[in-house]
Amino acid sequence: MPLVERVLVLASVVLVGVVFVSFYRAVLGPTPADRIVAINVIGTKAVVIITMISFAYEQKFFIDVSLVYALIAFVTTVGLAKYLEQGTLG
Amino acid sequence: MTTVIIRTTARILAPFIQLFGLYVIVHGPISPGGGFQGGVIVGASLILLALSYDLASAEARAGHAIRIAMDSTGSLLFAGIGLLSLLAGGVFMDYGIIPLPLPAAQVRALMILLIGMAIGVHIMALVSTLFLHMAEDHE
Repeated sequence: MPLVERVLVLASVVLVGVVFVSFYRAVLGPTPADRIVAINVIGTKAVVIITMISFAYEQKFFIDVSLVYALIAFVTTVGLAKYLEQGTLG
Repeated sequence: MTTVIIRTTARILAPFIQLFGLYVIVHGPISPGGGFQGGVIVGASLILLALSYDLASAEARAGHAIRIAMDSTGSLLFAGIGLLSLLAGGVFMDYGIIPLPLPAAQVRALMILLIGMAIGVHIMALVSTLFLHMAEDHE
């Protein structure tokens, strides 16, 4: 495996470890704002991880998956923010 | 009602989300994705509009009757295309036997694409209906 791909895979593994740190904050976070930011961070990291894996293994279709993930994470963020502010989704 | 920033962003983003969902549906047979995934993406654009405006305007844009009709049409098309091969003398969803002036492999690919589009319509209506019902119950 060439050096660039090895670095990308290693960076993905490290980022997966960091996702668990954010997950810890999302589960335990004392205030709802903590949870929202933690879930946002996890979504952003997932996009980056999928893109790096797609470069490392030369699967260009994974870019589509990361685009979808970014879109769904945006909808989640809007929904959570509205629920926090108003108490309803209406 | 949310702020003007959220509303403008959602209004500009929604057509691109729907276009991407259509791309995922139509490319279903040759790439990751397909009818279900594309339908969920198109449904997510409706959810985004409902979240950024309010439930009443989303209901006005895609009313309950229209959504239920699309839902039923999608599942009926799915079953109907599967039953088409029964009419041609094959087994359920054996598309190669359908008498079209094309090679059997192309008929199969065409019918799988049509089934993907039917699933897309069905899932799009289903996902948005689920969200709107749960949000209305919550109020």
